[in-house]
Amino acid sequence: MTLWFLRGLRRGVVTTRYPARPDASAAALPTPPAFRPEALTRALADRLAAACPSRALARDGDALVFDVGACTACGRCLAEAPGAATSSGEFELAATLPAHLVKRIPLLAGGGAAAPATEGGSP
Amino acid sequence: MTDQRAASRSVPETAAELRRAVTRQFGRSLHIRTLDTGSCAACEQEIRLLAAPHYDLHRLGFFFTPAPRHADLLMVTGPMVRAFDIAARKTYEAMPGPKLVVATGACALGGVYQPDAFTHGGVGETLPVDVWIPGCPPSPLALLQGLLVAVGRLAEKVQDLSFIQNGTPR
Amino acid sequence: MTAVRAGAAALPGLLSQLGRDAADDARPVITVAVPAASLEDAVRRLAAHPGARLADVFAAGGGPAAGRDAAAAGPVVLRLVWGLDADRGYLITESEIEGERYPALSDIAPAAFYEECEIYEQFGIRPGGGKPLNRVALPPQAATTPGQAPPRLGRAPVEPPGDVHALHHVGGHAFEFPFGPVRQVGVESLYYGLVTSGEEVVDLYLFTWHKHRGVEWRLQGRTPREALFQVERTEGLGAVGNAWAFAVAAEAALGLEPPAPAARARAVALELERLYNHAAATAALCQSTGLVIGQAAAEIALERLLRVNAAAFGHRYLFGVVDIGGAAAGPDAAVLRRDLPGAYGELCRAADALLATNSFLDRLEATGILTQEAARRLGLVGPVARASGVATDTRVDHPGPPYAGLPPAVAAATAGDVLARFRVMLAESAESVRLIGDLLDAGAGPGRAEPVGTEPGGSQPRGETREARGGPARAGMAARSGLGWAESSRGEALAWVALDDTGRITRARLRPASVRNWRGFDDACRSQNVFTDIPIIEASFWLTVAGTSR
Repeated sequence: MTLWFLRGLRRGVVTTRYPARPDASAAALPTPPAFRPEALTRALADRLAAACPSRALARDGDALVFDVGACTACGRCLAEAPGAATSSGEFELAATLPAHLVKRIPLLAGGGAAAPATEGGSP
Repeated sequence: MTDQRAASRSVPETAAELRRAVTRQFGRSLHIRTLDTGSCAACEQEIRLLAAPHYDLHRLGFFFTPAPRHADLLMVTGPMVRAFDIAARKTYEAMPGPKLVVATGACALGGVYQPDAFTHGGVGETLPVDVWIPGCPPSPLALLQGLLVAVGRLAEKVQDLSFIQNGTPR
Repeated sequence: MTAVRAGAAALPGLLSQLGRDAADDARPVITVAVPAASLEDAVRRLAAHPGARLADVFAAGGGPAAGRDAAAAGPVVLRLVWGLDADRGYLITESEIEGERYPALSDIAPAAFYEECEIYEQFGIRPGGGKPLNRVALPPQAATTPGQAPPRLGRAPVEPPGDVHALHHVGGHAFEFPFGPVRQVGVESLYYGLVTSGEEVVDLYLFTWHKHRGVEWRLQGRTPREALFQVERTEGLGAVGNAWAFAVAAEAALGLEPPAPAARARAVALELERLYNHAAATAALCQSTGLVIGQAAAEIALERLLRVNAAAFGHRYLFGVVDIGGAAAGPDAAVLRRDLPGAYGELCRAADALLATNSFLDRLEATGILTQEAARRLGLVGPVARASGVATDTRVDHPGPPYAGLPPAVAAATAGDVLARFRVMLAESAESVRLIGDLLDAGAGPGRAEPVGTEPGGSQPRGETREARGGPARAGMAARSGLGWAESSRGEALAWVALDDTGRITRARLRPASVRNWRGFDDACRSQNVFTDIPIIEASFWLTVAGTSR
């Protein structure tokens, strides 16, 4: 047992100070996207909704409805539209009401026609 | 609190009182029971790491307990496979009140699986959820934040986030 | 992949062709259409072939959820996938089954029993011989009247399978102890039926259907790329292995070959997955033996390895790395070279201390013994099989890119107990670190091969059907289908995919290694063990319930 104890002493404390202090390891975590309304045309919003495999994105009129709870941070929307979406960097996402997780992102004003019905993405 | 005083309070005041009561009850010592309703096992691995040296939930007064009778909080993963309904209800009802339910991970929050013949597509229909923690899987840091929000030691952050980028793109 | 029509008598010729193809460094997969009448003979020959291993049995067809209306359904096609490890190829036999019965396979190849039960539940066809079939896949709610039952891949069985398990006669008193599906904190839901006379485990059977999410059914009608999201999340702790097997299957069907750096990126991710799983198994072993300080040391290693994953590939569990046609994310080689040695060093130090702690080793030695005969008979794979002397490893036996040029040393042992499995995992971890170094040196990065003739949203068929390298054009039943495999941390993960002419999935078969290995768990627990040994044995197997209940 002494062996284990001495090794532990030598290594020191690895425990995070969170929440008292921020934890640097959070920077490497995948996070839900944040969107740029000025890049979101109706057609792009439709494409993003089709690209999301978890149905976290949908277009409702002139808004992109984003369900943060359904988001898995898979990055497919970022790959589909790098100019319109980037990682938000937010990982402290706990909510006491489901409505707190549903965000309406306004689309580009006068943002053109909706995308034609497509068969979906590449194989 | 008499009925008269209750009637004169507004909803936000009652909610704040309720939160203070939750913190008084659970803020310094919370016992957690987990429930897997069909997860892919990644959420479970992150939950297990809460007790590991890097995160050590014990320093925050949180403990895991296998007995629902001793548990204050039920941490639920998975999309609630319909075959699991009875086991989930029994686990929840075996916990004495007051108790909290935390839905953990995208599957439990309605992502990944759509409601169909096999799954409910989320745990909200079957259990009364108090806190929702997004992620696939939610990292141990996100889990800690969720637990602290559940007991009122950390303020909820996500309702003020807009997920809209400001300024020019990088 | 070559497809031929042949009877059982032609098999020896085909098997030697397989050996020749392997020498060309192709990915030899031969599909043989075997008429149902000669199926039993074919199975006998293959079971007797040296180095042959029944890797999977599954069915397709029979109409979507046709209920009990057999007339509306098409024929069910029964496929057996044989790993011919000595010949370095796979052989798939396809047989159309008319009616309800097919020859009993598990009498000749016991490794097929679980799959026979699953096929009965999903397709309503049963092996001859009248052996009772257990419920293994669909929950009891699935046995209700048509219209209320969950959808199946084929038609419902005429009689629902029983919730039976082997009856056990013991001298003296034995009682049955139900445990689960809600078990200890932080572990997956699983039901054990423990039959005990007090302390020793007389029998142990599992009900694994509580987590059945209908994944194979759910994948029908999707494109492979859409399906990949679900495939990764079938068994999150085996995301890379299962996704890679599925991607290879889809690529075989579409005629795609990933660029070499992308193949290496996949391999780096797979070896990282192997590493963190072995660290997690080490932590679980310590927890099960009550060695809390060892558990803490192993968990430090595990956490550091997960952070390496996040730094190198952007996700702690390596989701989103494998893509159809290549890799969507490439390793950050500089960060990986900088951080991996320290993280692996933690695991080494923990392992060294554990192997010097007698109280720990005493719990592991001679516990949960799985004999070589049992491992072979049940068709087990991975470290569990290798620790019992069945030294199969698809990275060596069925090498595809990039392992063809970088064969790993296969770690094996003969004792078949928990300690042997632990040692095999540690040896594999060392080999994984070495492989990652070699792969990074050779250059690993994201990239994707695009299919020919795709139009976005167009109605053209997606991807050309290409001939296999130098082989004859496809003929026969499955026009665009493919078999894929990968050596996940738990063993050989298989996938088989059939696509229609728009490139959407008509049948996807996922067979993570857990499907194979849970059936060895009962045997391992039964060999003179007591209750407290069960968690130790479970940790040494390190399977997931999600991988089998999918």
